[in-house]
Amino acid sequence: MRARRAWRRYRTATGYALVEHLRNRLALTLVVFFVPVWITLVYLVIADADVRFFLRASEQTITVHGNHVSKISGAINAVTLIVGFMMFIVTYRSAWFDERLVMAGYPRVHLLAAKLTALVIAAAVVCGYAVAVIAYYWTPAQPGLLWLALLGAALAFGGIGVMLGALLRGELEGMFLIVMLSIIDMGLQNPVANPASDSDIVRYLPTYGATQSAVTAGFLETTPVLHLLLGPVWFAAAVAVAALTFRLRTRDRRRALLPVLRRRARTGGG
Amino acid sequence: MTTTPPEPALRVGGVHRSYGRHHVLRGVDLELPAGRLAGVVGENGAGKSTLLNILAGRLSPDAGTVHCPGRLGYCPQQTVLNPAFTVDQHLRFFQVAYDLPDLKRAHALLEVLNFTGYRRHRVAALSGGTRQKLNLTLALMHDPPLLLLDEPYQGFDWDTYQRFWDLAAELRDRGRSILVVSHIAFDTARFDRLWHLEAGRLVEGAGASAAPAPTPAVPR
Repeated sequence: MRARRAWRRYRTATGYALVEHLRNRLALTLVVFFVPVWITLVYLVIADADVRFFLRASEQTITVHGNHVSKISGAINAVTLIVGFMMFIVTYRSAWFDERLVMAGYPRVHLLAAKLTALVIAAAVVCGYAVAVIAYYWTPAQPGLLWLALLGAALAFGGIGVMLGALLRGELEGMFLIVMLSIIDMGLQNPVANPASDSDIVRYLPTYGATQSAVTAGFLETTPVLHLLLGPVWFAAAVAVAALTFRLRTRDRRRALLPVLRRRARTGGG
Repeated sequence: MTTTPPEPALRVGGVHRSYGRHHVLRGVDLELPAGRLAGVVGENGAGKSTLLNILAGRLSPDAGTVHCPGRLGYCPQQTVLNPAFTVDQHLRFFQVAYDLPDLKRAHALLEVLNFTGYRRHRVAALSGGTRQKLNLTLALMHDPPLLLLDEPYQGFDWDTYQRFWDLAAELRDRGRSILVVSHIAFDTARFDRLWHLEAGRLVEGAGASAAPAPTPAVPR
């Protein structure tokens, strides 16, 4: 009975979370047009000259086709921006509504699990679409692994979007932060834009693991498992912050803490 | 033989709340027995919504206690809805939240508030008054013993305004306790008890002068 009720709550909240994404027309327009336009522009504009890329995933420097590796970084840039934006908007705009649902008795864990399920589904679809667009111009060595790598990047930024949506009080701030973070992240890791992209600092960027995995997927036959997991680690860390914020924001505050603390201070009680 | 008086639906003692140096609430005491329709009126900025947020558990008091033994229904001043969902989708979402077996009560409320025809409309396409009807319905649909309503009739047309009071009286007669917060001391005769929020404290009886009736809104 309890399991059935929990399943009902999770299923209902997941359905509504997906409905919210599907009714976000700007995000859908971005998915349909921004991904192919961005990758096509990279294909048309970026030079074909070979560039060197330090692949920490296999501890080697490889020489790759500049246009192909830019299509990969362009795809990562597109999916992180779109999924980060989608998750920020949904979390930010429904913050008060979610709080009301919690007050009405909806368990936080079901609401959060539903949002994350919707995020994974949305990210999987967007990344599949981006791989299909790349494959139209060039066949990567491992398209399935490229999809997984893009998914890791999208999840990392989706988690960051959820975190910012829970933490920030202004819509513009959140949008600006996501755009800036994605620009810095990809700008520092693309070997065409930054010949010094083998710096150690890039290891601390949200899509570092995804970029390493995606380049491996594009040009090699190996599978960098640990680097693939870095995206989900970023995702989990960001979601943990969001969950804690949500928990604090929706707690029942009716019991005043200060009188208790003052009483304890007076009596010396712990 | 002595009988224990029934526990009040809401008991508030010595609630204080400040925003920085601005002391909004300075010791609010309130007790609301079962089956009472009560009102709190006050000027803009008097702290009415702060008080209701504390009673609903959304805001911490700096000091004081709030005790309500049963479930409550809370209708916030601003409509808290999701513009992406239809009216029906809101009802189903809150049906799961409240763990209700069906939506008979919610559908009856739609009839009473006269917006059954909007069930398949998305909130983004509704007028302000119709959104407020849904906002109120979400607070009432689980038939809780205590209702906290913050300006519940704002944006209502005259007919819906009258229907709201009929509904409130019906709930009171069925033993529900209702606390209405409003910036206008209009229709004060409808309340069993009325407090005026003055200088951060509740004063029994209405201190405000009668205000004009709400401007009828054009229903969509």
